Amino acid sequence: MKDLRSEFRTKEALNASFAFSVVILVLFSFAFDPSSEQMQTISGGLLWLVFSFAGALILNRSFARELQNDCLDALISSPAPAGAIFMGKTLANFLLLMIVELASLAVFAIFYDSHFGSQLGSIALVIALGTWGITVIGTMFSALTVNLRMREMMLPTLVYPLLVPALMAAMTLTTDLMNGVPFGKENMIWLRVLAGFDFIYSILAVVFIDVVLVG
Amino acid sequence: MIDQRNFTYMFYGFAAAWVIITAYVAFLALRERRLREELDRVRRMVEESGKKV
Amino acid sequence: MRNKLVFVLCVLAAGILCWQLYNILLILPNEKDQGAIYRIVYFHVPAIFTGFMGFFVALGASGMYLGTRNLKYDAFAAAVTEVSLAFATVVLATGMIWGRIIWGIWWTWDARLTTMLVCWLIYAGYLMLRRAIDEPTQRARLSAVVSIFGCTDILIVWKSIEWWRTQHPAPVLSVREGGGMAPGMEAPIYWNWLALMCLAAVLVMIRMRQENMSREIDSLRRLAHSY
Repeated sequence: MKDLRSEFRTKEALNASFAFSVVILVLFSFAFDPSSEQMQTISGGLLWLVFSFAGALILNRSFARELQNDCLDALISSPAPAGAIFMGKTLANFLLLMIVELASLAVFAIFYDSHFGSQLGSIALVIALGTWGITVIGTMFSALTVNLRMREMMLPTLVYPLLVPALMAAMTLTTDLMNGVPFGKENMIWLRVLAGFDFIYSILAVVFIDVVLVG
Repeated sequence: MIDQRNFTYMFYGFAAAWVIITAYVAFLALRERRLREELDRVRRMVEESGKKV
Repeated sequence: MRNKLVFVLCVLAAGILCWQLYNILLILPNEKDQGAIYRIVYFHVPAIFTGFMGFFVALGASGMYLGTRNLKYDAFAAAVTEVSLAFATVVLATGMIWGRIIWGIWWTWDARLTTMLVCWLIYAGYLMLRRAIDEPTQRARLSAVVSIFGCTDILIVWKSIEWWRTQHPAPVLSVREGGGMAPGMEAPIYWNWLALMCLAAVLVMIRMRQENMSREIDSLRRLAHSY
């Protein structure tokens, strides 16, 4: 909760993140000027690339913000269990990232002339699941790398390979949905992968956050 | 006799495998030497400071 | 005792590899489609087995570390991971060369290639992480967590794409359904696997010794400074 409040007061990360994703989308449209058939194949990939980069900006600051004024130590020694702290941060990051993503989605629709109204509900589901995956892993590793010298480099290096299955699932699903193809037998695999990914890593993260933060 | 099609590439493949393993072994050997030197140096340092005390 | 074991394993590995090399190059019949290049499978596949086994062993060692907090397990996990990474590099390199010849492309995003690459990236990150942390307990703790997350990820990647299309050759080993290599051609894979396992064991032992050495250096240095 505290995270959200402090974030909304400054809106730093939100703005940076959103600006970044808009820039990428615009530049991409400008650089490649994709035709609508090309867009059909790459929409999912592009969107999720943008989402993950935007996410990295938000996540980087997640635990880093606590470093100032020894907030991190205060947080750890507070009576709240580490799992709860972790979930709090993850939820905050999740909401922040969702906001950026939905805004980016609107930008995407404008610049790329995309019509996906028919699948809006499914798209929302996929975006939510994918974002949760990014946020869980990202927050976890933000905590893990918070005390390291090369934090800004280690976080993406560790997080992106881990996210590959989730991103692959999300990209495939999104591309299909953007083209108006609803959930079918072929897609269900990826949906299950995404859900499974979220489930497994949420549990693992809560289990291990104690080890990472406290020792 | 061995089939001659793609023979050079097979050779490259084998070579790649061996080169990588050899490179790793060489890397280990190098590190071993460096560690040993460091160990000797630190041991000597401890002996000297021990004698001073 | 230790050194004798290392020596014996080395000789064993070398012996098997030489014998198999002779076997592979001179005795085995030719595969009808691929020409000579298919013989690369006798390094490619055993390296895969050895590498993946290594990563799982590292997972176990990491878990043991977190359970017992004995740094010995951490050293073992690091050693095994590093050696397995070397084997993973072999897999990727031989795979790419083989793929280039057979499929005409250096790379494609199918099940096993993606898994292997992701695996490689994760554990390269693991080693980078270790290099970034100086304090041994913290290093052990954090890298154990990375190892656990990494291994889980590989399982997920592997399983999820296996359900999807794949360009990779379908299983050819007779132990998996749908496979079928002539029996004479299959044995060298397992022999080479044994040889590579011996090699891996040797490398891990050497690496472990190095870990112990560097730990001794650290503690000696601390002792020296305390005088």
